[in-house]
Amino acid sequence: MNRTSLRLILVTLAVIASVAWLISSGVKQTGMQYMTVTELAQLTAPPHQGGFRLDGKVQTGTVNYDQRVPRLNFRMTDGKESIGVVYDGLMPDAFADGREVVVEGVYRHTDRTLHASKLVTKCPSKYEAEGLGKDRS
Amino acid sequence: MSEIGKLALFLGFLCSCYAVGAFAVGLRTGMAGPLRSGRRAVWIVCGLTVLATIILVRALVARDFSYRYVAEHTSLDLPKMYAFSSLWAGQEGSLLLWLLILSAYGAVFLWAYRKRLDPFYDAVAMVVASVMVFFTSLLSFVSPPFRILATPPPDGNGLNPLLQDPGMMIHPPILYTGYVGFIIPFAFGIAVLIMNRSGTRWIEEVRRWTLFNWMFLGFGVLLGARWAYIELGWGGYWGWDPVENASLMPWLVGTAFLHSVMIEQRRGMLKTWNVVLIVLTFELSIFGTFLTRSGVLTSVHSFAESNIGPWFMAFILGSSTIATALILYRKALLESENRMDAVVSREGSFLFNNVLFVALAFATFLGTTFPILSEAVTGSKISVSAPFFNRVNVPIALVLLMLTGIGPVLSWKRATASVMKRNFIIPIFVGIVATLACLPFGLHGIYPIICVFGAAFVMSTVVMEFARGVQARKDIEPPATPAALLHLVQKNKRRYGGYIVHVGVVMIFVGVLGSSVFQKEAHAPLQPGQSMAIGPYALTLQKVEEKQILNATQTRAEVQVSRDGKRLTDMYPAKAMYTKSQQPMTEVALHQTAAEDLYLILGGVNEDGSASIQAYINPLVGFVWMGGIVMVIGTIICLADRMRLRREEKLLVSEEKLLAS
Repeated sequence: MNRTSLRLILVTLAVIASVAWLISSGVKQTGMQYMTVTELAQLTAPPHQGGFRLDGKVQTGTVNYDQRVPRLNFRMTDGKESIGVVYDGLMPDAFADGREVVVEGVYRHTDRTLHASKLVTKCPSKYEAEGLGKDRS
Repeated sequence: MSEIGKLALFLGFLCSCYAVGAFAVGLRTGMAGPLRSGRRAVWIVCGLTVLATIILVRALVARDFSYRYVAEHTSLDLPKMYAFSSLWAGQEGSLLLWLLILSAYGAVFLWAYRKRLDPFYDAVAMVVASVMVFFTSLLSFVSPPFRILATPPPDGNGLNPLLQDPGMMIHPPILYTGYVGFIIPFAFGIAVLIMNRSGTRWIEEVRRWTLFNWMFLGFGVLLGARWAYIELGWGGYWGWDPVENASLMPWLVGTAFLHSVMIEQRRGMLKTWNVVLIVLTFELSIFGTFLTRSGVLTSVHSFAESNIGPWFMAFILGSSTIATALILYRKALLESENRMDAVVSREGSFLFNNVLFVALAFATFLGTTFPILSEAVTGSKISVSAPFFNRVNVPIALVLLMLTGIGPVLSWKRATASVMKRNFIIPIFVGIVATLACLPFGLHGIYPIICVFGAAFVMSTVVMEFARGVQARKDIEPPATPAALLHLVQKNKRRYGGYIVHVGVVMIFVGVLGSSVFQKEAHAPLQPGQSMAIGPYALTLQKVEEKQILNATQTRAEVQVSRDGKRLTDMYPAKAMYTKSQQPMTEVALHQTAAEDLYLILGGVNEDGSASIQAYINPLVGFVWMGGIVMVIGTIICLADRMRLRREEKLLVSEEKLLAS
């Protein structure tokens, strides 16, 4: 192996190492733990991690939207437990009672709510197969 | 009619199986008969797919609700053009579009090489036909588009309002033209390995096909961003959503390939690496389709979960295993002809470009699939989103921006210090001046500063290259005239087309920097007559009115906009309530200028009659779209360079004739 190849390999390794460092530190600092609503609702002590990601449904009748701020308050449920969510921002178009949502944010144990920084509403399943009945055999 | 469609797809499946078999027999035995028959079978699959597509489109436009697909995705009140584009609103139709474009590529390929007798091209067609087997079998057995309902409903479910947008009509076909097109480079790569072909002839052909697909994919990605900007109404255009990432990954690896292929052409190096990149680009395209359609990850697109996931996974695993086995089996063929002479050289910089592009794609892949990977490895599901990608990808992208300026100017083999000094002193100086000039405008932070420096640096290297080019031709015509510039580009389309692409890249960097770092945001509930301020603009609400449009009720605010006290324009942010689905849909109002966009959203109307207005100023965002157009123009110039190809083509055809006689 000549000197050029050695240098090339060294520089490439350095690049790969820095990218690996970027990724691992990125995961550590911005990674969010998936939780179910039940797991979060049954916490007895404040959690160690900062960020959480929750999947669930908007509990019917709990949506409180102040569009002057704008701030969206609602409770999210997985069918068993429920948890309060606060989201500072405009209400997404597809957001409504009973819709499936994904929220990401910081959980505060003091008021037992998730302060969401991101709120994604899944498209209503209406646009996929629903209520059309069986195929002709 | 539906029976014919079903039959067409099934016959398409049989024909593609037959084609693969016929090609295999022909290549094995060297008989011309089976090869000819295989080519014909590919043509027939193409015809059958067109037939199936016509039948489905006819049903969609006629709103024949006895078709499950039509009932699922259209309704009576849907405008005709959106009934047409609902072909790709669902999974079955999207797969049909995939197959349609795939078989079109097959046909174009056969047509382009119809005069070639070389069985190598039959091997390429065989690989294309094998992928056809996969998609025709999916459409015949797993996800059939021609399902008929026992009791047709009086009206259909309707099309998602988000998809009722002119941009959404062209975005998927353009994106797919890029995605699907990577089959041809992939097929070339596999065919080279199967046929044990040496030489660099095929490399030029692959480069051109890749360039074409790469242009469409890149343009499709930007159209998607533009659609998100206008339709999703959150003031931005890129959210590192899984589906966005899915389309970005093959583009990144394809970009790496387009650079490293130059080293192979020029120096006969990196052969294995290039085949790996081709295979990877294609697999990522398939993976992208899989991510978009399978619902394994939640995203703004969030399609319903479906049954095709395992099939795609099996296809990806199977095809990449075969490719890997072939690469190992033909190791000798891919031996490098040369060694790298120096780190600081054109080759060296392209190598780092490659490492970084692949790293960027890898980081994006890791971030996108992190929930699945972390659950598999550690048992706890962890997700990362935009902050992760910004943290990891932005620095890598900035180093790549620098390389855009450095790489093309370095000489092959070994760059000497004196040449580097001559080439880089002025650009570095320009970069520093530009950075200092931007500081008073609030430029701060290490990444934005590097970005401004890099953009100015790259632009001045490109300008210097053009200047040097016309200067070198000063005996032929006077430099510094538009004609001289035009002739320079004409003489060496590949090189200067490439520089133009780089100018487009710089514009996109500038646009992204401006709209992400300098974005301004304001929100206020306004009574008619009240005003709010954002930047130099004053927004006054005139009135709010309700209107009936086509298939929706629209609530529209009239906002009078003035800038620095001068009346500028009226804007109409609105919310539409779709009659059929009772789904609200934000309609953004946009005032676009070269310097900045004013972006207004109507949050809603409050009980007291006031309207909530959310406003954004997105500086320089227009550069992102213009940069995309410049990139397309540059790529077309590169593609127009047929000299090298013609020369080799002539050589080939005469050689083949000699062999045949």
